[in-house]
Amino acid sequence: MQEAELQDLADDADYAVAIASEKPAPKSITRMDSKKSEPDGAELVYLKDNVTIHPTQYASERISGRLRLTKQGASVFLTWIPYKASPSGADSMFQSSNPNLLDRDRSLYTIRAVPFTDVRSIRRHTPTLGWQYIIVVLSSGLAFPPLYFYNGGVREFLATLKQHVSLIRSADDANVFLVNDFQDPLQRSLSSLELPRALSIANSASTSVIPAPSGETSARTDDGLSIIQHTGRRQKVNDPARDISIQVLEKFSLVTKFARDTTSQLLREIQSDTFSANDRKNRIPAPLSNNITEPENSIASVSDEIPVAADPHEVDKISLVWGKPRQTPLGAGEWATFLDAEGRILDSTGLRKRIFYGGVEHRLRKEAWKFLLGYYGYDSTFAEREYLASVKKEEYETMKRQWQSITPAQAKRFTKFRERKGLIDKDVVRTDRTVSFYDGDDNPNVRILRDILLTYSFYNFDLGYCQGMSDLLSPILFVMKDEQESFWCFVALMERLGPNFNRDQAGMHSQLFALSKMKTEKRIVRKKPFPTIWKFHPIVCRSNLVTSKLIATEDGKVTALPNYKRELEYEETMLLWEVLWTHHLSEHLHLYLCVAILKRHRKKIMGEQMDFDTLLKFINELSGHIDLNAALRDAEALFFCAGENGEACIPPGTPPSLPAEDTSLMYSQQDADEIL
Amino acid sequence: MPARRRALLKVIILGDSGVGKTSLMNQYVNKKFSNQYKATIGADFLTKEVQFEDRLFTLQIWDTAGQERFQSLGVAFYRGADCCVLVYDVNVAKSFENLNNWREEFLIQASPSDPDNFPFVVLGNKVDVDGGNSRVVSEKKARAWCASKGNIPYFETSAKEGLNVEEAFQVIAKNALKSEEEEEIYLPDTIDVTGGSQQRSSGCEC
Repeated sequence: MQEAELQDLADDADYAVAIASEKPAPKSITRMDSKKSEPDGAELVYLKDNVTIHPTQYASERISGRLRLTKQGASVFLTWIPYKASPSGADSMFQSSNPNLLDRDRSLYTIRAVPFTDVRSIRRHTPTLGWQYIIVVLSSGLAFPPLYFYNGGVREFLATLKQHVSLIRSADDANVFLVNDFQDPLQRSLSSLELPRALSIANSASTSVIPAPSGETSARTDDGLSIIQHTGRRQKVNDPARDISIQVLEKFSLVTKFARDTTSQLLREIQSDTFSANDRKNRIPAPLSNNITEPENSIASVSDEIPVAADPHEVDKISLVWGKPRQTPLGAGEWATFLDAEGRILDSTGLRKRIFYGGVEHRLRKEAWKFLLGYYGYDSTFAEREYLASVKKEEYETMKRQWQSITPAQAKRFTKFRERKGLIDKDVVRTDRTVSFYDGDDNPNVRILRDILLTYSFYNFDLGYCQGMSDLLSPILFVMKDEQESFWCFVALMERLGPNFNRDQAGMHSQLFALSKMKTEKRIVRKKPFPTIWKFHPIVCRSNLVTSKLIATEDGKVTALPNYKRELEYEETMLLWEVLWTHHLSEHLHLYLCVAILKRHRKKIMGEQMDFDTLLKFINELSGHIDLNAALRDAEALFFCAGENGEACIPPGTPPSLPAEDTSLMYSQQDADEIL
Repeated sequence: MPARRRALLKVIILGDSGVGKTSLMNQYVNKKFSNQYKATIGADFLTKEVQFEDRLFTLQIWDTAGQERFQSLGVAFYRGADCCVLVYDVNVAKSFENLNNWREEFLIQASPSDPDNFPFVVLGNKVDVDGGNSRVVSEKKARAWCASKGNIPYFETSAKEGLNVEEAFQVIAKNALKSEEEEEIYLPDTIDVTGGSQQRSSGCEC
């Protein structure tokens, strides 16, 4: 079918249905009379209630409103007006916005009659579960916040819109619809069929409607018909696109940080999504966007798995970002600035954030890790920590003596002990033996590994020893160079990770569950989901969890291939761990990291149509080929793009969160408190 | 004669932690031994081309984690196996005693259509250790157990020295092939790792 190759809407079965009916009367517009004239002679062609924006992650701050398309002559305009806050006697038919919201915020987000000549593209997100939404990107590169269609209907919206403006599906992303995209010669030729109508729109571009802010807060009228009340004052402007940008900029300049963050996040999302390959030309003027994103955001490059095409000069236009650039590791001098005279870390949030973006210099790890792991409290003083260390040292020695004093005769009758000791003995000699700290025969450090693990199996007899623990302990001992301190840091780490090692693998499974949800959450794994023939989703990660390789199948069956620090070099492992331990942004950043790495290799995985076995092999062979810093940036960006949807995918209690009810089950924090 | 897709023979290696599963696989496929393998967590596989008479096969050898705790993760890989290799360490009695558990667990999880005749091969590994002086499971005892389970072929191997490894895998492959021919159960749509040059020589290549 020819149209299928034209990359237009008709290639989509969904839209074909809607388009096929000559005069579609989508349900969403049944309440309006298409002949009904707006004031000023504008014709209402589409109306949708309960279209909502989410300025922040908090449900209470969502703003619902009404979305309309109006037509004036050949021009089509997009309008979204929030409902007026109605603290009492509200029309309960509509999802009432939080009355506490400032009107300022409300009007901030209002979209007043934006002509489609100023719209560059529309991205649709139509997850199977959850709300559908669209993101409207202006020619200036600015974007409006996602408009969530609480009652569905994105399809109808686009189908209706297509009747009035030229809408072309992006060649790069089937979920992006380009509006009037005639700068790209290829697109132009492909859309030649649409040309006459689109040109007429383009010709009318100079008469942009800039309606006055008319206090049009509610468009509801008694008869349910929507009548725009705006005064619709028209102005001739020389550069409508620029004008709109400035308006938007002004709006955003009014608001608080959260809106700013939201904006930059949106811009980043748009950027990363749509600015690839042939779709990348002349879009975002860099200086303009710098006004909006934080400066440090502006250097990093968009890096997907696809090395972006031809023109190297385009790179400088990519000013809107994927995660912040990584910083240099935290050094001793800077570390000292975080400590007060008595050794307390006052700004632990700032410290964790600093470490998140740069890691820690190796010499400093011995100190910093104890805080990150929770062995030391941030508010502890030098003296308190010294005391804690001496008490804990004694405690360790006591526990160590317990198993050391088991006689051969006892051991003979103590199967569990023999088994554990046997497993540990086997594993320590195959743990990081290529690292010089652990290599060679009769290496004392290997013996210390063994002693700590055996002692741990007495400290936490229920959990015992599980393969993989030696891999987790090895970098800790390497950093601490001290048996007792390593033990207690390992204890603290296992507090977070313990559920992963339980026999029922519940910890693993909740992570996999989260991952499988995250991958279907299109704000996280944008673009098309994996086609259904791809039964298996590899998730690769090396983290402070037992994670490394996780495979979730689409039919709900999950398979975990827990692996430990096998994918990264030793130094990178330590960096990744300290970054994850900061719990800055999310304590589940490793899950975003999994998805980020998956995304990075998406093209290969999809392109080669890997079956499960091939996929597994591919993942196993990623060892040593993960660019950690890039992956971390991707993960950070994913976190911001996903917003609350991402976090909502993660079940409560998923490691490294402590299990909700029984935090004291494995380790009693009170012990430490009593000592202090 | 239609171009025939190369058959894939899937082999699973099971046994207690540290008996030498990974080493055996690597010795067979790569002719290499390292004493620095890491404990296997999850699963991995290696492939090797094998020839029988005039046919080429891809032997896909799956290495699994030995610790019991990971079994809930490993069983997903059992399905579709054409042969199961049970490995124990002749110097560790427990690893021999556990063979029965491994065998039964495999039959439950993989649920082959004809469990009584499903091909197993048993390998008693690490016969080189200490010149055989630390050995605790006798060959006789091992062979008796194999006989009692339907005459399972038995080999005494040393992955470290490459002793009997090739011979054992020859039998493993042959039995896997037999099983595959009889059952015709598992011919997945695999990627042709050789790039298809052999099979498509008659067609036009663009």
